[in-house]
Amino acid sequence: MSEDALLSVRELRTTFRREGAEPLTAVDGVSFDVRRGQALAIVGESGSGKSVTMRSVMGILPRTARITGGQALFGGRDLLAIGDRELRKVRGREIAMVFQSAMEAMNPTLTLERQLTEHLLWHGICNKAEARKRAVRALGDVGIPDPEKRIRTYPFQLSGGMRQRAMIAMAMVTEPALLIADEPTTAVDVTVQRQILDLLAELKNRGTGVIMITHDLGVARYFCDDAVVMYAGRVVERAPMDRLLDDPRHPYSVGLLGSGVEVGGRDLPLRPIPGSPPDLSHRPEGCPFHPRCAQAELPRCATEQEILTIGPGRDAACWKVAVDA
Amino acid sequence: MGLAVYLGKRAVRLVLSLIAVSILTFTLLQLAPGNFADLQRVNSGATNFGGVGTESMVGELESRYGADVPVWKQYLIFMKGAVVWDFGPSYKYASRNVQDIISEAFPVSATLALLAVLLALLIAVPIGVFAALRQNTKTDHATMFAVTLGHALPSYLTAAFMILLFSATLKLLPSGGWNGPEDLILPVLALSLGPAAVLARYVRSSMLETLREEYVTAALAKGGPRRTVIIRHALRNSLIPLVTVAGPLLAALMTGTVFVEALLRIPGLGLYFANAAASRDMPLLMGTAMFFALILMVTNLVVDLIYGLLDPRIRTVGGGSHDGH
Repeated sequence: MSEDALLSVRELRTTFRREGAEPLTAVDGVSFDVRRGQALAIVGESGSGKSVTMRSVMGILPRTARITGGQALFGGRDLLAIGDRELRKVRGREIAMVFQSAMEAMNPTLTLERQLTEHLLWHGICNKAEARKRAVRALGDVGIPDPEKRIRTYPFQLSGGMRQRAMIAMAMVTEPALLIADEPTTAVDVTVQRQILDLLAELKNRGTGVIMITHDLGVARYFCDDAVVMYAGRVVERAPMDRLLDDPRHPYSVGLLGSGVEVGGRDLPLRPIPGSPPDLSHRPEGCPFHPRCAQAELPRCATEQEILTIGPGRDAACWKVAVDA
Repeated sequence: MGLAVYLGKRAVRLVLSLIAVSILTFTLLQLAPGNFADLQRVNSGATNFGGVGTESMVGELESRYGADVPVWKQYLIFMKGAVVWDFGPSYKYASRNVQDIISEAFPVSATLALLAVLLALLIAVPIGVFAALRQNTKTDHATMFAVTLGHALPSYLTAAFMILLFSATLKLLPSGGWNGPEDLILPVLALSLGPAAVLARYVRSSMLETLREEYVTAALAKGGPRRTVIIRHALRNSLIPLVTVAGPLLAALMTGTVFVEALLRIPGLGLYFANAAASRDMPLLMGTAMFFALILMVTNLVVDLIYGLLDPRIRTVGGGSHDGH
């Protein structure tokens, strides 16, 4: 809600229709801000709703999904309310998306040229010849050697790292203000991971807002300024990245930090969080984390969950945090 | 270069397969009870086309193969002719050589087959796409129910029904014969319904699979208009595997369709083949059987080549081109 917010998501709710069962709430009242030219990490385990959150904002949910509430303010408009026609003009032009695996997110039977230029034409940004020039430049920008030649190849003819770069070039060719990266390093080799992160960091430094969806705090800390921790479709903690790493408040965030190999780095033994994330169709009442939480106090944790502000740009969804603070 | 080697290998395989087919067919025909001369005697000229006397037939038979020649030698004599496209005279249509019958009847069957498969594709693709885009709705279920009915309906029933409707009742179309373009309508319609149903199912399931691909979502995330994304990214890739279904369907129809040709009095290959089998017309049976095998194998080769043309992943592997590396 701050003045310099590029994208403000408020109380987003997304449900999935199911056959012969109550709709499943995958995203339950999620709010966060992305500041202009900054990077936000949305951190959570698989199934925590982080991908669905961003796909809701982009309007690219599967047919069975429905957004049942909330706002997504971007450039003075509510993306959830403007309708698909208007949203399409934003999608891919002002907000672009990078996916987990370029192997799957790029069409195997179309050349890079086709895939890097088609949205320039869809959005009427330029003509075909100019689009090709921009695409070649975008490929060069992400560090693909000999882009004039590579643009004529198919995705499968590139190495994994080059393919991932090509996908980033595909997103950046329209010069979007916001880039959503959905686990962009999960499907690539460790050596490539670092290159991809460097590339995204560079984009951020050039002024592009970045939302990094990841399950890996080690990846998130690399260049993200802020973090949102999600659990079972809800935000459990929001904090500046360094504050979260130094002083996580929500018991789930504490557990997440303790269970990460890359984050610890202090020769601390790994402490996995006992249990597993809840099946969303049987979400625990109150705080969804309480059945796994070592500090849970019944019955309060099983009945209510409130989000408490605990500092500048910081809040956590645990009443015990307020007691401690 | 790679392509030439590939084609060479395929040609060798084709020849070996043809030899195998010829041995198998010849053996089976030797084992089958009864021979042409016996059947002619039993029928005692009642159904003896062309009024050729049985004795002279036997004489002709003997003059070509020699009655006392051992079976394996008969086979070699036949094959010697076959390799230079000479299968000798038919027994039943004694005035004509087998290869002349094939040359005359095949274009008829092939024309019908090509038109029928083309029409089937024109019907199947929109229906399949339509159903896929409405997966699990009432429209989808109703469409697929109709398709299943179409599939279950044998072509001769369709043909008989259409003769009743269009020729007998409405008097719009000739009830059979092979004199002009109007004679094509009924057989092509009758022949295309079954394949259309088969193909529509394939289009639907293939389309459903492709629509779930991440690159379709990615294309939507680039701001692609839904229709464009469906056609360029989903439909295009869904139709590639369809070639492998349409090819054999085409081959099966090209080698003649006994019932429809009989019902509509069309001088195609299927009728000759059926008659040849019934009357143990050895040369005609051998000739048509080998020709069918050849057509089937050539179709499969063409399917594989088209597949390579449509899918760059196969083209570069099969064609041995290493562009871009």
